Order: sequence, then structure tokens, then C-alpha cells
Amino acid sequence: MSWIREGELNLLEKISANILKAGPMPKHVAFIMDGNRRFARKKNMERQEGHMQGFNKLAETLRWCKHLNIQEVTVYAFSIENFKRTKNEVDGLMELAKKKFEKLLEERDNLEKHGVCVRVLGDLNMLPLDLQQLIAKAVVTTKAHNKCFLNVCFAYTSRYEITNAVREMAWGVEQGLIKASDVSEALLSECLYSNNSPNPDLLIRTSGEVRLSDFLLWQTSHSCLVFQSVLWPEYSFWNLCEAILQYQLNHKSIQKARDLHGEDQALLQLEADRACVAEHMQHHGNGKPADAQRRQEALLHYTTCREERIQDFLEALKHKRDSYFNDLWSDGILA
Amino acid sequence: MVLLYCLLWRLLLVLVHINKALVSWLRVRLRNWKGRLWERAMAALLLPVALAGFPDHQKELNQDPHANTNPVTGNRSAGRRSRWLTDGRSLEKLPVHIGLLVAEEEPSYTDIANLAVWCMAVGISYVSVYDSHGMFRKNNSRLLEEIVRQQQDLLGVDGSKCNVEFLSKGSDKHQHHVVSCRPTVKVLSPEDGKQSIVQAAQQLCRSVENKERSSKDISVSMLDLLLRESKNVPDPELVVKFGPVDSTLGFLPWHIRLTEFISLPSHRNVSYEDLLGVLQRFGACQQRLGQ
Repeated sequence: MSWIREGELNLLEKISANILKAGPMPKHVAFIMDGNRRFARKKNMERQEGHMQGFNKLAETLRWCKHLNIQEVTVYAFSIENFKRTKNEVDGLMELAKKKFEKLLEERDNLEKHGVCVRVLGDLNMLPLDLQQLIAKAVVTTKAHNKCFLNVCFAYTSRYEITNAVREMAWGVEQGLIKASDVSEALLSECLYSNNSPNPDLLIRTSGEVRLSDFLLWQTSHSCLVFQSVLWPEYSFWNLCEAILQYQLNHKSIQKARDLHGEDQALLQLEADRACVAEHMQHHGNGKPADAQRRQEALLHYTTCREERIQDFLEALKHKRDSYFNDLWSDGILA
Repeated sequence: MVLLYCLLWRLLLVLVHINKALVSWLRVRLRNWKGRLWERAMAALLLPVALAGFPDHQKELNQDPHANTNPVTGNRSAGRRSRWLTDGRSLEKLPVHIGLLVAEEEPSYTDIANLAVWCMAVGISYVSVYDSHGMFRKNNSRLLEEIVRQQQDLLGVDGSKCNVEFLSKGSDKHQHHVVSCRPTVKVLSPEDGKQSIVQAAQQLCRSVENKERSSKDISVSMLDLLLRESKNVPDPELVVKFGPVDSTLGFLPWHIRLTEFISLPSHRNVSYEDLLGVLQRFGACQQRLGQ
């Protein structure tokens, strides 16, 4: 089954989509596609078949999202915790992923036509090498596309992602690119796997479970969470509409909370900068208390320097990540 | 055409709002009705007992009017307390740490205090209270007073089983060596969330800056340990969210990895039965932990 589904919505769906689009729409939706195995059990089919149907549903959902003007989708495909499942099932899932990424590469013309950029978030080192190379190839091939974005979380947990971001910042400190005092909420966000995406506006979990299971904990702190009881392979256009409607009901209050958080952030950064400048002046000052104007100048100077440091560090980090994928890809070609 | 869609969308929103209001109204009505029915049934059952018991009771009263007053109220709260404890025991599982997330504009201290006291009475050891404006943190002492008062009201003066400790951020470095079996109430605010992760990250980066550690050594368990030390609470297994906003609003992002989220429409006039219903729902949740 293909990644990209052509085809229009039917009349009723189109009307409903247009009504919904009259309100505020989420730009980025995240899915926890739960319930494939329960679906297989319910229908008396093989577990692998359940996962297969789950993938097909993802392709269908992407089509709906396109028609609803949702440009970005993030899905939880495989958690690091899932490695605990039976070897049989893990192997089956890896095999399925391999097939799907091969299929994706076959469809590259179609992906280009629709401008689909595919990103894979997670620690690829945990995966078999051939799958790593396939993923790198898919990511590098679709990198320049910019109409819609699909982020696949594979070998991912949110705690691991946050820890990895801390590790990257510590690497920056080791390299002398940034100082420990430059570490901030904004910088940590920039070091996450998801640094190229805005935070999701809406997170949907199917199959009636009411927890996040270590998915995008950092990014969804001000997102609308919708838990739906339908199993993922049975997800319908109307379920998606219901979730969007719930987002629209929440939109105003969540936006307010986000703005408030943003203001707090800016204030904290200013305070941190002030503290750093004060410390610097104490060490290097000539004993005289600095007047307000000099302090203001020093603060401005410090802020510009900090921003430059962070810019350089983020560029170095981006380069490091890009070359990781490029190396994997070129290794794949040689092999 | 666009105008028509806009109109239809507004209409849809209004319909959803009406539907929501209707459901919550029905819920309250149903509860009151059930409560009244229950009262009547109890009264009918107890009527013969009361009639039979009344003369004796009066006789005693005549003998010593003071001896009776205290034990009666004492018995009532003791009875209530033991009922709550048995309720707690009858549940399939009970969270060790419950989070109360208030996503409403104006918090009601009495209702939150009630909830905290009920949680402790059914046997939950950690209760944390959170709102996205940090209102509870700002009015920490007011909430504390309210909880102590409710404790006395609901559990009787002898509240020895449920002492309240307020662990506001960082104020209790010496605390975590003491193994305390008393329930703890913790007031949380947004700064305990992402900001505390940033602080832990800063701490680790500083130790890298001072060449005490290499960046490669940093692991999930190391960060988890740091955050656990600063917070001194286990991860909440259950968060009860009050109010119409469907979001965690910055509630401890690191700690809610496996937390079950259950919503109630409002914390105002919330009843013990509402809380029990949530705990029963939590008892039915099963976690597969990735498997």
C-alpha cells in the first residue's frame, strides 16, 4: 500500500471540512496510533495484519489532513520500550518498516509532486543497519520538500529525546561553543529531535487509553489533548473532525496559556542575562558601582554575544546531524 | 459561501456548548435525585430503629447531657474516616501520587482542600496541587490553613493520621533522608515543570564545563535522578484535571510519562463520589509498558 493516497473527499465530508475550516485549524497534529493489536484480536487476524492495517490507516489519515489544511503530522510509530516485545513481533515491525521505507523511495516522484518532507525522530543507532540506511535515504531525498511534513517517531521516547538534547548542549559546552549559563528552555527546544517543527497544536490518542506513554512530553505541554476510544485501524474522517472540533473549543484558553508562558520565558531570560552581567561586572569591575546607563549597555552587549554564541552552536549542531544522515546514506550507496 | 460556512461553524459551536451544558446539568440533577432517593431509602429503613432506640437515647440524655455530645460527633467523623479507608482498600489499585490539575480561572480553596483531604483519607500518600497561573503557590498558606481546617471538619480534631507537610520547592534539602509515612501535600506551579528540567540541564552542563564529566556520560537515569532529588516526589500515576481546558498546561512534563489523565468538568462543589468514581476508573486502567 502506498504512502500517498489520491482522491477527493466525498460531498458530505467536503462540506464538513469547509465548516470546520471556518474556525481556527490546528497546523500540526500528533497521533498515538494505538489499538492495532486489539483490532487484530477482535477481527481474529494475525497481529502483523493488524499493524499493516494500522499503516494503511495512517496513509488515509494523511489524505484527510491534506484536505483539512493540516501541514504537519507527527506519529508515534515505535517506542524504545517496544523493543521489550517478543522478538517475533519486533522483527515483524522492523520488516514492515523496511518495506514501507522502500516503498516510500519508489514513490519519490509523487512525494515531490505533493512536496512531502519525511523526517524520522529517534535514535537510529538502535535499529538494524539496513533499516538505518533506508531511513537516511528517505530523509535526505525528501529534505528539500516544504509543503507538508510527516515526522515519524521511531526508536523514540520523550525522556530519551530530552536527555539527548541535554547531551548535545553539553557537547556544545565541551566544544567551547556555548557556556553552561546559556542553557535555557528555548535552547533545549532547539536541541530536540523536533527542532524543525512548531509544537503540535493537537495530540490525538486512540483506543481509549488516557496517557501520553512518553510521547512528546516537552512539546505538548500547551497542546490540546484528545483521547478517543476508537481503535486506530477503525479511525474515521468523522473521528478526526470530532477531535478538531474539540481543539476549536479549547483554542482560546490554550492560546492564552501559551502567551502567558511565552511572557514568563522572556522575563526569565532577561533575569538570567542580568545575573550574568552582574557577575561579570563584579569580577572585572574596578570596584566602582556601575551606573544605570553602563549597566544597560553591558546587558545589551551580553545579550548580543549570547545570541551569536547560540547561533553558532545551533549551526554546528545542524551540521553534525546532517552529516550523520549523509554519511549513513553514502555508506548505503557504497554497500 | 465562505460566510455561510462561518455561520454554520458558529452554529455548530453553539450546539456543542448547549450539549455540554445540558450534560453537566443532567449529571448534577441525577446526582441530587439519586442522593435524595438514597436518603429516603435510608430513612425508611432506619425509621423502626430510630423509634425503638429513641426512648433509651432520651433516658441517657437525661442522665448526663454532656457525656453524649462529644462521642456522637467523634463517632461520626471516625465512621466517615473508616468508610473512606475501606473505600480506598476496596479499589483495585490506588495511586501513590495523585495530581490535582486545576484548569479554571478562579480556584476555590475550600473545594481543593476537600479533595486533598479525601485523597489522603482513602490512603493516597502524595497529593500535589497545580494550576497554570501559580495561584496556589502564591497563596500557599491560605491553602494550607484551609486543608487543616477541612481535616478537622471532616476527620475530627484528632488528625494524627493525616498530617500535612508543605513541600514548596527547594525548601527541604534535609527532608529526603527522613522516611515519612505521613501523607504529603505539595503545591506545584509551572516553574516546577520545564524550568526544573532546564536547571538540571544547566547543572550537568556546568559539571561538563568544569571537566568533571563528559557529555557522553549523560543518561536518562542520571537526569531522572537529578529531577527526583529536587522534587522529592514519585511520578504521579494519576492526574485529575478540573475544568474545560483539555491540556496539561505545563504540568511536570518529565514526570507524566505514564500518568493517566482523567477529567472532571469543574472542581467547584465537587463531591466525594466524583473523586471515588475517578479512582475507580483509574483502578480499571491497565498499562502494558511498551509490551
